[in-house]
Amino acid sequence: MTLPPEMAGRFLPSVDRLENAMRASRRAFDRGDFEGALRENDVAIQLKPEYDAAWLLRGHIFRKDGNIPGAIEAFARALRINGESQEGWIALASALHTVGRFQEEGEAYDRLLEIHPRSIEAWIDKGAALHELGDYRGAIACYDKVLAIRPEHAAAWSNKGAAFLRLDEDAAASRCIDEALQLDPDFFDAMANRVLLYRKGKRPGETVFWADRALRLREAPWLWYVKGLAHLRLGESTLALKAFERALALDPKSKEARAGLRKAQALRETTDFYRGVYECFGTHLAGDPGCEACEIRARCREVTP
Amino acid sequence: MSLPSLAEVEHADWPSLQRMAETLGLNPRGRSAIVRMRVADLVRRRVQPSSWRPAREHQAALLTRLGHPDLAERVWESTIQLDAPAPWVGLGQAQLAGGSRAEAMKSLKRAVQMGDPSAELHRAEALAAGGDLVGAVAACDAFLETHARDLRGLFMKSAFLSRGGFDEEATKVLRTAVEVHPEVPELVRTLGFALLRTGRYAAAAEVLEEAVQRDPEDVDARACRGSALLLAGRTREAITVFEEALEIDSGRPDVRSNLGAAYLALGKPRSAVAALERAAKQHESRRILLNLAHAQEAAGQPVKAARTYDQVLRLRPKDPEALAGRKRLAPPKKSTKTGRTTKSAKGSARTKARTKSAPEPPSTPPS
Repeated sequence: MTLPPEMAGRFLPSVDRLENAMRASRRAFDRGDFEGALRENDVAIQLKPEYDAAWLLRGHIFRKDGNIPGAIEAFARALRINGESQEGWIALASALHTVGRFQEEGEAYDRLLEIHPRSIEAWIDKGAALHELGDYRGAIACYDKVLAIRPEHAAAWSNKGAAFLRLDEDAAASRCIDEALQLDPDFFDAMANRVLLYRKGKRPGETVFWADRALRLREAPWLWYVKGLAHLRLGESTLALKAFERALALDPKSKEARAGLRKAQALRETTDFYRGVYECFGTHLAGDPGCEACEIRARCREVTP
Repeated sequence: MSLPSLAEVEHADWPSLQRMAETLGLNPRGRSAIVRMRVADLVRRRVQPSSWRPAREHQAALLTRLGHPDLAERVWESTIQLDAPAPWVGLGQAQLAGGSRAEAMKSLKRAVQMGDPSAELHRAEALAAGGDLVGAVAACDAFLETHARDLRGLFMKSAFLSRGGFDEEATKVLRTAVEVHPEVPELVRTLGFALLRTGRYAAAAEVLEEAVQRDPEDVDARACRGSALLLAGRTREAITVFEEALEIDSGRPDVRSNLGAAYLALGKPRSAVAALERAAKQHESRRILLNLAHAQEAAGQPVKAARTYDQVLRLRPKDPEALAGRKRLAPPKKSTKTGRTTKSAKGSARTKARTKSAPEPPSTPPS
């Protein structure tokens, strides 16, 4: 018997059709044509209902399309077929994180870590999930696992610092953030954590300085807001005003920024200090040669806690 | 002013730091730690304009190449993402390097399923590593279905065919590559070498002539063309080509040796000896020395030939060709012992027919 050319390659012609459907679905997905991707994915699933890769792809399509419950269901189905799939567990955990189901997200990482105990991605993501759940000690343990495998992991140091910050262990937090910034001086998250640390320590000079550095990398309304508050404490009403205005431009619904703006306007009526070239204003250090030669050191000493 | 190093910035005293800031056009005023940070920032950015750091995938790829496939596997596993087939390819390669061929095949297949057609080529390599050359060719074909003009795919297919013994098919694929990519001059040369290896000397000479026309300074192509002509029986042309090659690069003992072999084939043993002696001076190799000894024998210089065979035996004490030559040229010795000769139990000793040694074929063309 002679098979037609399209069947000659395989004994089961459906295998070719399945692969073609998967490929077409993938291509449509890459193009952003979610409807077309889903249509082709349906064909693949009809041909082989127990095909984990098809269910995974379906999950990704749903996720990109904003249908997170659908995505979770598809990922779960893929994992029922192949419980060893690292990709499946990460995808499921990630979808669960999107809808704030952190407890289940953590469980998904636990399952993944049973299969791949050295998965850095799983450890760091599990740490983040535990952080969201308020289990900061658990989160720190996860970051320690990462750091045992890769001590130069700046994100793990930064996250560990954030967890210590939540635990009010400011000295430990500062050490971790220092480490992260030493490893990656342009690491935005570490800078943001440093801003929060100084804000908590009521050190407006340092808060402004580090917020400025972070904002040079990436704008975030909350950072502008924190910077604005720090300027208010330093008596710099114009700079505070500008910071709140920028925060409102990025997030017009921010009530805090609006309130801050009002405070800055009110302060401007009475005081508005101009720091000039001294970006370190508010961080006076007795005995420092730069501070000794500073033209505004009297005022700086007043506002430095 | 040249840029200070980060260590200099780190340890500079206050006046030096201020000077550095001023020279670099930075604000020198403020708390010393802040000024130091300002200078360090600028130095870091200038020193590393694009601060490249090896990502995990880079580290994993390097680990595979450095011979740590087990570590590479772990790192690749940690880089696996939902939409990217590349880590699966890297993981497959690491698994293959670590000897887990079955796992490698699964990983590479996953990459193919995720829509990376080039993973087929990696699969082909994995199949070939397991000795399944037919499977490797099929994987190349699968890739070439969608990338018919891809040079790497064509090359790999040709190589696997050749390794599988399908030299004719391999040559055909190379010919296709030459037609599809006339802009790649090396392809013509490779095709010429392939034809030479498959014993199609006339065709090889023709193709290599084209390669030489494209790059007249390509000594390898000229040398191989000479070999092809010599093997095709066009000895005079071969001599001309070898001489042209030596004019471009006189330091090629392989070409000089082949020139000697060509002279010998033409019945000019003295010229052959001259060429081969120079070649042997440039590079004392067994093959060149054996060619020289044959030429010396043909030129009626048995003493010199015997000496040359001895030289070969110093390089390789049990070289059968040199031993045979030495035996052939040794003066007959009188037996000093008397006594009974023991015959083999299997029967009487046979006398081997002595055959005249033929001149050596040219050296193998460079691949």
